[in-house]
Amino acid sequence: MARILPEEDLLVRMQRDLKRSLAGDRSAIRWTMVIDLAKCAGCHACTIGCVAENKLPPGVVYRPVIEEEIGTYPNVRRRFLPRPCMHCQNPPCTKVCPVHATYQNEQGVVVVNYHKCIGCRYCLVACPYSARTSDFGEWYTGPTPDPEGKMVGRKKAAEGYEATPAAEYGKQWPKRGHDSPVGNARKCHFCLHRVAVGMLPTCVTTCIGRATFFGNRNDKVSLVSELLGSPRVHRLKEELGTRPSVYYLQ
Amino acid sequence: MKTKSFYALASIAGLGFLVGLIGMYDRLLNGHLHTGYGSYVPWGLWVVFYLFFVGLTAGAFLITIMTYVFGIERLKSVGTLSAFTVLVALMCELIFISMDLGHFFRVYRFLLSPNFGSLMTWFVIFTNIMLIIYALESFFLVRQKLVQWADEGRRGAGIYRLLALGKKGYSDADCDSDKKIVRILSIISLPAGLLFYGTNGAFFAILQNRPIWNSAMTPLLFVLAALLSGGALITFLISVFHSDDEIAKILAKAVRFILVVFLLLEFIQFFVGYKTGVTSIVTSLSLITSGPHAWTFWVAHLLIGGLLPLLLLIVRPQDTRAISWACLLIVLTFVTVRYNFLIPDLSVYKLEGLEKTFFHPRLRTQYTPTITEWLASLWIVSIGVLVFISGIRWLPIVSSDQGGCDHV
Repeated sequence: MARILPEEDLLVRMQRDLKRSLAGDRSAIRWTMVIDLAKCAGCHACTIGCVAENKLPPGVVYRPVIEEEIGTYPNVRRRFLPRPCMHCQNPPCTKVCPVHATYQNEQGVVVVNYHKCIGCRYCLVACPYSARTSDFGEWYTGPTPDPEGKMVGRKKAAEGYEATPAAEYGKQWPKRGHDSPVGNARKCHFCLHRVAVGMLPTCVTTCIGRATFFGNRNDKVSLVSELLGSPRVHRLKEELGTRPSVYYLQ
Repeated sequence: MKTKSFYALASIAGLGFLVGLIGMYDRLLNGHLHTGYGSYVPWGLWVVFYLFFVGLTAGAFLITIMTYVFGIERLKSVGTLSAFTVLVALMCELIFISMDLGHFFRVYRFLLSPNFGSLMTWFVIFTNIMLIIYALESFFLVRQKLVQWADEGRRGAGIYRLLALGKKGYSDADCDSDKKIVRILSIISLPAGLLFYGTNGAFFAILQNRPIWNSAMTPLLFVLAALLSGGALITFLISVFHSDDEIAKILAKAVRFILVVFLLLEFIQFFVGYKTGVTSIVTSLSLITSGPHAWTFWVAHLLIGGLLPLLLLIVRPQDTRAISWACLLIVLTFVTVRYNFLIPDLSVYKLEGLEKTFFHPRLRTQYTPTITEWLASLWIVSIGVLVFISGIRWLPIVSSDQGGCDHV
C-alpha cells in the first residue's frame, strides 16, 4: 500500500539555511535566488506580497510576473517568468550611476542609497532587464474623494496603507511627499530588511507553488547551492555578461 | 538689432515666459507628477531639448575655435556672437537637464561622491568646464566695450560698470592681456569641447542592449548632428545679425555639406538596421518610420528640416534670405531628430511580455509629452531667447567684434 512520507516544507529548510549563513562570516555570503519556472503558477502572489511589504506606490513594481502565451491552437501553453532585480555580479546599473548612489553591498546585493540618488534615471535606462522603476510621487489614494463625515475616505485609506512608512533598507521612510524615495530609482533589494532579522524575502514566503528559492550560494549545503547544480539552470540574457544572481530552472 | 524686431521677439518670448510659468510652477510644486514619461521610457521632452541645445552650441563653438585658436581673420567679426551663443545655449541645456532630475538639490553629490566611471559624471564636468570657459571668454571679449560705454556715461552706465567689475579706463596693456586670456581659454576649450560632444554621444552608445544607441556610429552621428544644428544656428544668426553676408554664404556651404552627410549616415543606419533584421532594431526603426509620431520623421525632419533646406541651399546659395530660412528650418525641426533619437529606442521593451504584466501609465512604452512638459520647455526656451536678444541689444556682443581691441 502506497504511503506518502512526511516531507519538510522547503521554506523551513531555507529558513534554516538563512540562519546558518547569518550566524557565520557575513562577508562570505552571496545571496542568490532560484526560480523554478516549471513550478510557477502565475498567481502573482509574489508581486502583490512585494508591493505590500515595501509599500510600493502606483507605477513602482519590483517583481512583476511576465506572462507569455506560446504556440498555436490546439498546441498552446502559458509561461510565467517572475522578474525580480537580477542583482547582477557585473551590474550595468551601478557603473552608470554618477554619484555612487547604487552599488553592490558586501553580500552581492545591488542596493540604492535613497539619500544619495539624484533621480537622473540613467540606471533605469542601463538595466537590460527593466528591473528598476522610478518613483514619480504618485499615491494610490490620490484621486480618492474625501467627503466629510464619511467613515471610509481618502484620509482613512491613506492612513491605512500609504501613510505607513516602508521599512526598506531597515529604515522608516517618512510619509510620502517630496522626499526620498519619491524621485528616486527603486528596485528589488531581496528584502534585506527581512533577511537581516532572519526572515526570507516576501516573494519567497508568499509563493504558493514554492517556486522561488533564496539562500547563500557560497553555503554548499544550502538548498540554492543544491539547485544550482541542476542541468535546468539558466540565467536571463547571459550573453550580456551581467552574471545575474537570479537563476531560473527551465 | 533693430528696435522693432527686438520688441516683436521680446514680446513673443515674454509671452512664452509668462505662459510657461504655469508649467514651471507645476514642476516645482508637484515634481514629476504631471509628466508623461515613466519607468520604461524614463526620459522625455526635457532630455530631448537638452540634446537639442547641446547640438546648438557646436556650430558656434567651432567658430570660436577657428577665430581665436586658429586666428582665421575672416571670422573675427562673429567671434563674440559665437561665444555668447554657446553660453546661452549651455545655460538652457543645464536648466533643461536640471528639470529632469528627481532630486535637483542633490547635484552637490557630484562633488561629494562622483563616480568617474560614469559618463554622466564626465558630462557634468565637461558641461561646467565649457560654461565657465565661455562665461569668461564672453566677458573678456566684451570687457573693453563695457568699460568704454561705462566711461562714456551711456544710458545704463552703472550696469556696464558693474558688468566690467568696476574697471575704469582700458589701456593697450589691458587689450593685450584680454587677448591672451581669450586665446588661452579658447585653446583649453578645444579639447574640453571635443570631449564634451564626444561624451554626449558615448553616454548613449555604451548602454548595452539598446538597439540603435549601442553602436560605434552613435558618437559619430552625435557629433555630426551637433555640427549640423549648431552650424545652421550660427549661420542663421550671422545672416540675421551681421552685415557681412559673405561669412553666412561660406558657412551655408558647410551646412549644406554636413546636411548631405548627415542624411546619408541616417540612410545607412536605417539600411543596415532593416537589412540586419534584428527584432529590437527593426522595432525601434519602425517606431520612427511608422510609429504614432512618424510625422516628426517624415514631415518635420526629412521634408521641412532636410529636403527643403537642401533645395534652398542648392538652388539659391548666394541669397542670404534663402540661407537664413534654410538654416532656421534645420534648427527648428532638429528637435524632432533628437526626439526620434531618444524616444523610439527607449520604447522597445527589453523583455518580451513585460507590457502585459503590470498595468500603469508609468509602465508603458508609449510616450507623449504632457502640457506641463511643454509649458516648462516653453519657459526655458523663452528665457534663452530673452537673454540672447537682450545681450545682442544691450551688451556689446555684436559691436565688440567691430573695431576696438583685436582679439584675433
